[in-house]
Amino acid sequence: MLTFLGLTALLIKIGLVVGISQGAVAYLIYVERKIAAYAQDRIGPNRCGREFGVPLGLIQPLADGAKMILKEDVIPKYVHKPTFILAPMIAIVTATIGFAVVPFGPVGAGAPRLGADWPVQFQIAPGVDIGIVYILAIGSLAVYAVVLAGWSSNNKYSFLGGLRSSAQLISYEIPMGLSILGIVLLAKSLDLNTIIEWQDRHGWGIFWQPVGFLIFLVSAFAETNRLPFDLPESEQELVGGFHTEYSAMKFGMFFLGEYLHVITVSFLTVILFFGGWDLPFVLSADQTSWISAIFKVIVMMSKVSLMIVFIMWIRWTLPRFRYDTLMNLAWKSLLPLGLLNLTITAVAAQMILGG
Amino acid sequence: MTTASIYRPEWSTTIDPVLQKELEQHVLVTNWPKFLDMIDTFYNWGRRSSLWPLGFGLACCAIEMICTASSRFDIARFGAEVFRGSPRQADVMIVSGTVTKTMMPMIARLYDQMPEPKYVISMGACATGGGPFKEGYNVVSGIDKYLPVDVYIPGCPPTPQALLNGVIMLQKKIDGEKGSLLLPGREKEMRTPWYQEALDREVPVPVLGPDLIDLRLLEATAEKTAMGLMEAHEANLPKPPKIPAPQPEVAAVESSAAPAAAAPKAPSKIDLIRAKSQAATATDGEPAAAPAEPAAKPAAKPGAKKPKKAEAKPTLVWLGDEGLKQLSDRLDQKFGGGTSTIVQAGLLIPAAKLIDVCLYLRDENVIRYDYLASLQSVHYEDCIEVNYQLDSTIDPGKVIELRVRVNEAEGQGELPSVVSIWRGADFQEREVYDMMGIQFTGHPELKRILMWDGYAYFPLRKDFLEPYYEGPTKVFDSRVEDGRHFRAEEINPYGTNLKVPKDYNDWKSLVAADDTKGKNFLPSGVEISELDTDQFIISMGPQHPSTHGVFRMNLRVDGETIVGLKPVMGYMHRNHEKIGERNTFLMNFPFTDRLDYLTSMGNNFGYALAVEQLMGDDAKPPERAEYIRVIMAELTRIASHMWSIGFLLNDLGAFFTPALYAIEERELILDLFEWAAGSRMMCNYFRFGGVAFDLPPGWVERCHGIVFDRLDGKIDELDHYLSRNEIVMDRCRGIGVLSREDAINYSTAGPVLRASGVAYDVRRAAPYSIYDRFDFNVITGSKGDLYDRYYVRLVEMRESVKILKQALRDLPDGPILPGKKSYQIKVPAGEAYSRVENPKGELGYYVVADGSSTAYRYHVRSPSFINLTALERMCLGHTVADVVGILGSLDIVLGEVDR
Repeated sequence: MLTFLGLTALLIKIGLVVGISQGAVAYLIYVERKIAAYAQDRIGPNRCGREFGVPLGLIQPLADGAKMILKEDVIPKYVHKPTFILAPMIAIVTATIGFAVVPFGPVGAGAPRLGADWPVQFQIAPGVDIGIVYILAIGSLAVYAVVLAGWSSNNKYSFLGGLRSSAQLISYEIPMGLSILGIVLLAKSLDLNTIIEWQDRHGWGIFWQPVGFLIFLVSAFAETNRLPFDLPESEQELVGGFHTEYSAMKFGMFFLGEYLHVITVSFLTVILFFGGWDLPFVLSADQTSWISAIFKVIVMMSKVSLMIVFIMWIRWTLPRFRYDTLMNLAWKSLLPLGLLNLTITAVAAQMILGG
Repeated sequence: MTTASIYRPEWSTTIDPVLQKELEQHVLVTNWPKFLDMIDTFYNWGRRSSLWPLGFGLACCAIEMICTASSRFDIARFGAEVFRGSPRQADVMIVSGTVTKTMMPMIARLYDQMPEPKYVISMGACATGGGPFKEGYNVVSGIDKYLPVDVYIPGCPPTPQALLNGVIMLQKKIDGEKGSLLLPGREKEMRTPWYQEALDREVPVPVLGPDLIDLRLLEATAEKTAMGLMEAHEANLPKPPKIPAPQPEVAAVESSAAPAAAAPKAPSKIDLIRAKSQAATATDGEPAAAPAEPAAKPAAKPGAKKPKKAEAKPTLVWLGDEGLKQLSDRLDQKFGGGTSTIVQAGLLIPAAKLIDVCLYLRDENVIRYDYLASLQSVHYEDCIEVNYQLDSTIDPGKVIELRVRVNEAEGQGELPSVVSIWRGADFQEREVYDMMGIQFTGHPELKRILMWDGYAYFPLRKDFLEPYYEGPTKVFDSRVEDGRHFRAEEINPYGTNLKVPKDYNDWKSLVAADDTKGKNFLPSGVEISELDTDQFIISMGPQHPSTHGVFRMNLRVDGETIVGLKPVMGYMHRNHEKIGERNTFLMNFPFTDRLDYLTSMGNNFGYALAVEQLMGDDAKPPERAEYIRVIMAELTRIASHMWSIGFLLNDLGAFFTPALYAIEERELILDLFEWAAGSRMMCNYFRFGGVAFDLPPGWVERCHGIVFDRLDGKIDELDHYLSRNEIVMDRCRGIGVLSREDAINYSTAGPVLRASGVAYDVRRAAPYSIYDRFDFNVITGSKGDLYDRYYVRLVEMRESVKILKQALRDLPDGPILPGKKSYQIKVPAGEAYSRVENPKGELGYYVVADGSSTAYRYHVRSPSFINLTALERMCLGHTVADVVGILGSLDIVLGEVDR
């Protein structure tokens, strides 16, 4: 039963998460531009905000946002209007609601308490047993944004982008699911928090599931449409891909959606393979104090940030795959590998770890 | 702040001005108008700090625009590095380069597609007013004829710093904008166009009709055309002269049994070669090798002195008189007497026998002429001559020239096409058709290539006068004479660069949405689909992030597979060759810079060689000049290959990082150029017989440092990071394969040809300058795929470094010009074709001089253009992503493709 207080707390949490993640996304774009600059031996944005005394171009995202929101929003005559408007909404909604089951810190028994009866859960929806399934499901919905955008734009580049994306995202769902199953088998739970706690006791998932981790990482890049798998928008080939016809904030929403995806995926990677908030020998599930909780949040966020930086770093380093090699990779390499990994894990879990 | 205080009715008091000021500074005390101003400020700040340019480059300036984004200048500091490929997401359009008539409708359309508020920066002299190419018949005299421009940047091209300054100026302009945001209570203040419903914001898209027609001025144009103002205007202008075609040396033909001595080997171009010339030859006592022989006056050159004539040879390294004679005899034996006549060291073939002769030369002759180096046409008084430079890749350096002559009258000339023999003739024949109006029977697709179908003229004919024509030779009177200085627009009856024939009356057919240029080049359907899918056509370009300029490909795709491809070009056709006929020889140097704007030194080199060939020993470069030339050419090669490799990787999706690292090295080389020549990109450094300036003190040391200590390491670095990269190999291996035979048959040149395993490098095949002194290898690939083309370029850079090391070691002291610096050069009448190995491939200049101060005909054999002939062949069956890579591996530069 949801009490009034519980509801308030929930709303506060949702507000916090949505607010912070959207703000974080704006800054991720800034960070990405800075990383690009460092990768390319440049300086990157550093002028913006100097007139207000802000150093390092730190309010560049604000300027971008202000401009985008106030720019003319062109809806060309030849597009299918309802879908054209719907697509960016789907992009941003699916990217946002994925956060519902992501634990940002200790949850459940390990959560710190306000008084005796009020455990503070660092998760919007604590105790969802099928967290992973939920995230995967929401992630697959995101493909609609790209496909609808590509189709409704009535533009050939967008259309090709949509085509590529539908094939790519759907293909990579499968190896991604397979790669996760290994760790799920070991932890015997689909609940993200349980998986973290299992890793806290047994060691990080990357050591148990190195192959699974690789498959997951590759699929994650593909799922987020990031280089080397950014085929749906591939600027050098399809100009803007699925968002070629989008302007102003509708385009901005795709942008936001993409970065939110990056955050989600980074969270997933950290939770599944890098122990979430766990730090060996320092932090464990048994600690329930506030200090430990705050440390856990910090640890978690640091890991996620590193992961995000890694994803960005890759973008500025590697060339892009070609469409058919990409599909080959999914179906001919990752899928068999994933199946093999799953089988071995299942057998090993049964034989060695004993059911 | 105009009022000293704010009246607050609810407070019923006035605020102390000092206190109010204090409050304003530290507390947000405001009224509605001031609040609006604040919003304005914020809005302006947002827009000016986030100016995303449209990723769209036209010509040379685009290169500097890219450099502005590179690590050295970094436009990202202003938050403006986000080049958007789609106009829908861009804020500012940087019109970077010459705006051609063919491109103008596209630019107007792009501008219309950009969302408000939008800005236009006119970058460089061309975009601002036509620049050096203003007189071109296909050049718009300034983008502001059609689009509202916010900032003009001078320069040709403006340096990256200048573009940065332009961005700052635009930011200032935005800062000053008031009332640009629609807020309640301010509807009257709205000065910005984008909220004014009544205003038709769209720029009307001009139409490619008989010329570029601005629909806003349609009626006035039609009226002036009907009145025949242009014809009346042209009637008073001095016309360019026409000279007769060179005729066979009478003695040589008659005394064919006698051994061909050195004496009669200098037939002149001019009419004097007819019977009269015999007497002149007899009186002439100068050595045969030197350009000699004073001759009769050319027909229509008032004031011209008696022209000397140049030594007759098609190019520097060729078959030789003896061999040519034998070849001619063989042809006569085989195909009957009169098949070939030796005219000015070329074989004159009757049009009817052309195909037979060509087939014989390719398949049966002792030297297999399998490589069509160049094909061009000259408009003479009595005929249009099409000539073919042939070489053999098996036995290189035995160049011969074939001449075929057709009816001079417009649209009457007809020739059999040689596409079936050398497919490399495809685009070149289309170009001849486009420019001279000669029909090639048997050509698979004879359509205009640079101009558009429906354009009213054949521009390279001597009787075509450009709209801004003032006289046959620059400098035009309007530019120098005191008191009569005027702009070209003031003389042209239309007031702009426009010319429509008097009898044109089809004005109603001009529709704005018509894609006149591209609609004729739709690839036809091919049935390959396994599933029951529909194929569709994508128009890739002319504005596209990966077409390296304003190149366009019409693709027919089945899913992602290419089943048809038709290149559409001419969007950058800025009339180089026509302008070259108006320029004096010396004046043409800066224009050659702008051909392949990445390799201006190499372009200079070729042009200098062509004219030096005509000038003979008068213009023999001294040793030091030769070494400097080679150093510059090889530095250019490294810079160009760096760029090419960087952007190939960019095309493969490596987002600018390899490109920017490559550009860093290029910048170092450009610094050297700037130091020596005074300009980064458009060096204009070579002169006939040498170079413009000696190397400044310290230059050699710095160059030494870069060559010996830096370049090798950097090339290794590229090699290390790129060549073994899994994705690069996967994307490049086996893609866009061009077989050895095809590469030769398609007349591809440079790294494209060598990657297919043909060791043909003009530096070796027909050594020019002092290349025979250096030790270097001709790099070849084995498979002819994308990877080989990439790798050949990479290794070629190493070879260039090798040459540079030798050249820097041996660089002698001495003069840099054979005589004094001269602005008036005498070029003897004659014909020359020079070949240099430019980074893109064989660059040829074909120059016909008539003894006056300008070239009679000036043609550029551009490697980028001819390499594109093979594009369709390489792309079919691959995917859209590969097309981008294959195009990148051809390494085209649009300034050279379309000239």
